[in-house]
Amino acid sequence: MRPSLTYTEAELVQGLKARDEKVFSYLYDHYSPALYGVALKIVNDENMAIDALQEIFLKIWRSAERYDADKGRLFTWMLNIARNTAIDMLRSRAHKLDQKIRELGDGTVFLEKLTVQQSIDHLGLSKVLDQLNKEQRVIIDLAYYRGCTQDEIAKLLDIPLGTVKTRMRNAIIQLRNILKQV
Amino acid sequence: MNKVDVQRYISSGIIESYVVGLVSATEAREVENAMAEFPEIKAAVEACRQDMERYVQLHSIPPPKGIRKRLLEVIENEDSLEGEALLPEELREPEPDEAPAGPGFSWPAISPERMLQFALALAIVLLGISLFLNFRYASRYKIYKQKYDELVTVHQQATADNQLIQAKLQQAQGELTLLKNPAFTWTRLNGSGKHAGQFITVCWNPASHEAFVLAQGLPEPAAGQQYQLWALVNGKAVDAGVFETGQLSSSPQKVKAIAAAQMFMVTLEKKGGNDTPSWNQVFLSGRISS
Repeated sequence: MRPSLTYTEAELVQGLKARDEKVFSYLYDHYSPALYGVALKIVNDENMAIDALQEIFLKIWRSAERYDADKGRLFTWMLNIARNTAIDMLRSRAHKLDQKIRELGDGTVFLEKLTVQQSIDHLGLSKVLDQLNKEQRVIIDLAYYRGCTQDEIAKLLDIPLGTVKTRMRNAIIQLRNILKQV
Repeated sequence: MNKVDVQRYISSGIIESYVVGLVSATEAREVENAMAEFPEIKAAVEACRQDMERYVQLHSIPPPKGIRKRLLEVIENEDSLEGEALLPEELREPEPDEAPAGPGFSWPAISPERMLQFALALAIVLLGISLFLNFRYASRYKIYKQKYDELVTVHQQATADNQLIQAKLQQAQGELTLLKNPAFTWTRLNGSGKHAGQFITVCWNPASHEAFVLAQGLPEPAAGQQYQLWALVNGKAVDAGVFETGQLSSSPQKVKAIAAAQMFMVTLEKKGGNDTPSWNQVFLSGRISS
């Protein structure tokens, strides 16, 4: 899904910093599916993901001066904004929801609504997901999409804290090998 | 870090953990410093990022259509209030303190929510003021009530004093009238022998038979004893009643009516007096000057 660039990365950054609306449109057209996919996977609710996506793009627009090319590519920076925004939103709403559930009483069980959405490259995705083993898939998702800490992952997967980083490395190496075949 | 160390660092898993956001802020700074120093580490981080980003992009989903248009509206109008209002709350600029000065005077736009907030704040302030004044006036009322009660007491005291003074004044006026009446005769009774220097004055109206005693000059009698006045007519003693000495002696004391007398005599008798005088207890005597 690499978009065919009509702008170089440096031009995009410059245009964004200069508040060029054409550059903004271009970024939206090329990256909104990826960023919306991240938001939707994190918040797992379409309306919340829509709110998150707008917030993400406005943050990109408004904090362009803070982008530092030495630290990584523009897409990496945008993904980090998307991920942090959606995780923050989920946490603040989960907190409110938690309070509501407590107000309703203990008998109520909150069932997570599963959003069924077809990804653009769903064949590629299912191929990758099929080849990752469950633990590898879970450790990547917990860290990237849930924002879990090492402690939390160690507890959730019932593994020693010291092995979380090596498991993560193995999962990503496996991911890399699969991606080469896709 | 030497070459071996760099390799060990790369294969430790810290890079992957950094890329997926698993490390602490301190560890993240460490990785960023290592990236700046060692191109191999930077390359390893970049490779890992690209893997993750490819994985993430596999999850791409086109967002609903309307969002693009809305975002463009926001950024086109972002310097105006309308554009600001389109923003999610978290991203709005803090509201300016004063409404921008337009041509002439205009009310600043206030949303109903804002209005409610103002109303609520105002209500709270008014409630606070009311409570404060209640408290203040309640304590003032208490003070004034106390002062009022004090004044009532003082007034009652003053009235009582006034009545007493009125009574005393009436008494004094009565005495004055008595003393000014030319019909009264004044007789001073003097002591002799061991009673020398003792005296009283008897004031008698032969026409109305009224008689008074001014008992200024007699010693206090023993308990159970009282002085008694006698009128002597042709050597016969007629009882004219007992009288007090001490405090009560300063004003005229009315005694029994005396029909006729040539002399007066005072004896010391038992309390309440006797029918006949004790002749061995004669203290004073005086002839009535005609």
